[in-house]
Amino acid sequence: MVLAVIGLILGLILGIMVPWSIPLAYSKLFSIALLASLDSVFGGVRAALDDVFDDKSFIFGFFSNSLLAAFLVYVGDNLSIDLYYVALLAFGMRIFRNLGRIRRFLVKKT
Amino acid sequence: MEKAEAELQQSGFSLSSLKIERGSLSVALVCMVLGFMLAVQFRSAQDIKSLPANQRIEDLTLRVKQLSSENQQLKEKLSALASSDDGHSASIYDGLMLASGQTAVKGPGVIVTLDDSKKMVKNDDPNLYLIHDEDMLKVINELRAAGAEAISINGQRLTGNSEIRCAGPTISVNNVRSAPPFEIRAIGSSRDLLAAINMRGGVADTLKVWGITVNAQESKEILIPAYKAANPFKYAEAANEEGT
Repeated sequence: MVLAVIGLILGLILGIMVPWSIPLAYSKLFSIALLASLDSVFGGVRAALDDVFDDKSFIFGFFSNSLLAAFLVYVGDNLSIDLYYVALLAFGMRIFRNLGRIRRFLVKKT
Repeated sequence: MEKAEAELQQSGFSLSSLKIERGSLSVALVCMVLGFMLAVQFRSAQDIKSLPANQRIEDLTLRVKQLSSENQQLKEKLSALASSDDGHSASIYDGLMLASGQTAVKGPGVIVTLDDSKKMVKNDDPNLYLIHDEDMLKVINELRAAGAEAISINGQRLTGNSEIRCAGPTISVNNVRSAPPFEIRAIGSSRDLLAAINMRGGVADTLKVWGITVNAQESKEILIPAYKAANPFKYAEAANEEGT
């Protein structure tokens, strides 16, 4: 899994190098997409620890989760339903729950 | 499970023990996308923080806070001064406050609404169809002639020192700009004021030629705000000797 870490670092460098940044109008959508993908990654780590990791569903989940989240927030914006905060809360809670399980797992096993 | 445990114990916590060897390249790709998003979002957040509009908001909030606390202090001082004296000077004080526009006033009167012309003749000077400071001055003059006791334009109280001045597409009153529609409130005899505005061949008729809407409505109770600047007299001070 050195590859994953290398990929992460490569992505970080690429993101810093690239000159454009997110326009203000889309920053909300992008941040929700980012949160969704973070949630997917933590979910993936948790799944790996539980021995139920499936790379196809992980990759598919990563992209579909973030795109769907951004899309939902976009639709909500246009219907003046602020789904942004709902997504924030849902993903935030899931991330913390997954983190908790990862931590428990590590404490138990090592 | 046992294998994973063994590997975990062997290597402490390392991601390589998580059985993600299969398709690890695609996982690396996902991680790369994640890293990319993180970095871009980080930089965007940095950009948003340094946006001039945001800094300006902070500056303005600070100024509003300062000014409102200053305002509060001055008000306290004012009421202390007003209550520290006998009834006679208090009544003079009330009269002065009323005359100088330093207090909000209410009473019957008219509300005149002026708006730019909706119609526009092609190849004609568009300036003719807009409200200008002169038009505003004519309306105000007419109201004063009809005995208006207090007048405000879009919430700005007219005092002896107020200007009505052209400021680009807007009109500046008390150095505060406002755009059409203009709402002029005047306290006085509503019958006289209405008659003054709607007089045949008067100011409303002249403006209506250009399609400028002049709408005068009488009202039983009009509230006119106080003049908001703290002290308009910086240079002038009271002189005891009679002027010649």
